[in-house]
Amino acid sequence: MSALGGPKPAGGSTGIAPVPALVSLVIFVIIFAVMYMFGGSLGMTALIGIVIGGLLIGFGVHFVPVGGAPAAMGQAPGIATGVAMLAAGGGLAGLFGGAWAASQGTVVAVVTGAIGGGLMLAITCFFVNFIYIYGMGIPAASGKVKKDPITGDSQAEYKSQGTEGHGLPFVSFVGGVIGGILGGAGGTLIYLMLLNVYQTSLPGVMKATAAQVAPIAVSLAGMFAIGMFLVIAVLAAYNITGTIEGPHDPKFKRFPRALVASAVASALCGVAAILLVMV
Amino acid sequence: MSVKIEVIEGGIPHQKILIAGLVLAVIGLYLSYLNVLLGTQMFAFFGGLAAIAALVWGSHSIKILASYGIGTGVPSAGMIAFGSGVIAFLFATKFGVLAPIVAIILAAIIGAILGYLANEVLSMHIPVMIKSLTEMAVVGALTLMGFSAMISGSFTFSALTSTPTSVIGKLLAMFLGSPNAATTSFSLYIGGALIATVFLLGAIAIQHGFNACLGPGWKQDRMLMLTAECGFLSMIVAAVMSAALINPAAAILSFIIGLVGWYYTYMKYIELSKRDAASWLDAKPIPEVVEGH
Repeated sequence: MSALGGPKPAGGSTGIAPVPALVSLVIFVIIFAVMYMFGGSLGMTALIGIVIGGLLIGFGVHFVPVGGAPAAMGQAPGIATGVAMLAAGGGLAGLFGGAWAASQGTVVAVVTGAIGGGLMLAITCFFVNFIYIYGMGIPAASGKVKKDPITGDSQAEYKSQGTEGHGLPFVSFVGGVIGGILGGAGGTLIYLMLLNVYQTSLPGVMKATAAQVAPIAVSLAGMFAIGMFLVIAVLAAYNITGTIEGPHDPKFKRFPRALVASAVASALCGVAAILLVMV
Repeated sequence: MSVKIEVIEGGIPHQKILIAGLVLAVIGLYLSYLNVLLGTQMFAFFGGLAAIAALVWGSHSIKILASYGIGTGVPSAGMIAFGSGVIAFLFATKFGVLAPIVAIILAAIIGAILGYLANEVLSMHIPVMIKSLTEMAVVGALTLMGFSAMISGSFTFSALTSTPTSVIGKLLAMFLGSPNAATTSFSLYIGGALIATVFLLGAIAIQHGFNACLGPGWKQDRMLMLTAECGFLSMIVAAVMSAALINPAAAILSFIIGLVGWYYTYMKYIELSKRDAASWLDAKPIPEVVEGH
């Protein structure tokens, strides 16, 4: 969180201008055309999976209550760090969890990844609130809504003057867990798609047996998945300009344009990752 | 949003740092390629120096971008730089001797598209966004390539995946369950994910300089010196890891160069910090209590 950033207008514009939307669509179509020319059906399936994973990550980031530096001082609700750190903590925990289950099939692995990510952020949110309430002595209160959309508890009485709220209200906690589930599932899906491509293609490229290339396939797929995960998470963080309270925050309505950006970014990175073994 | 808060007062203009960083990084990478041409591994340390040149340039790019108040924190800039850089780098390793050039071109394309997405689709409207993300993706790719060349002796895909891995002459059996595990070995660099360590060593080094020096007292030379210091610190760690992949003499040479460079830049950084500080109290270790009065 840059300490120099000025106050941002709440909500802001939520739409996408027509020209960038069109340009994004053109880039997206070109990437898929390239994939179709070089990658065949294996590459196309993998790229579609990667784009779905990218969409899950980009959407998931909007749920996570990112507080940034103001939250560290108890002046804004959310977890007191930046999106890049939370994505790396929650999403990658899910990715690693899912990667362990990769041999059990796509569905089991993706669900495992989702549980890993959700669990990681649930633990994070719990200890954030534990430290806020018992360590810093401040109650959890949202500054963006009058009543918690889930529990219906009123917020204004608990909010200190001069702050935007503090702590993690219940809705933010739930948002964090949902964000972790989506991020973990998306990251795992990208990993599985790439792993499948590498395990199929690498033995031919490197002229070795499947068992010999297994560590290289796992490592390459993991590295590309981490790279893509961070790119998409940071783009989504740009969309919410750094901080968000959770799904009840007006900034949440900006997510459609993050989905467009995530789709193009994941397709772009995915095509490079797949063509590494295809061209 | 797009109000520039800090301006660069004096110092070297960004264009010069950009050109110097790019040229030095490419020269360093090609000097490390002498390993392949001369059949030795002693030139591996040039890869580390190339990475440091790229890091210093990248740190200044981050300063330019972050001074617009992107709101997501400086570390996120390092993460997106290496996230996009690692994809360009791994793809480019296929191209053998042309790898650095392909990495630069591919990283620039990926960075430019990401910058366009951030600026237009996500409505950031920051004037330097596209240029900065392009530069940072290139820096990420060159840094990874530099450290990779330093650790495994070369930056080609075959070297990164198939250099035999040994620890003090003992070949590591890497493939559990594989019938010929004892006779065949693939490099730990990608197969053992040493690249993941290098990824974060670089990502931390690129963002720490500005993250630690930002504020009203920001001075260009101090920030760049700190980045170089972080780079040499990463180089020391990379040199230790390289002992598993290249011959011990080359690894020790890299280690010594990293250590000397780190000591020099660290002392220089302390000197510059003393220059810029309002006052300086040299806190001694806990003083010995004198018995009696």
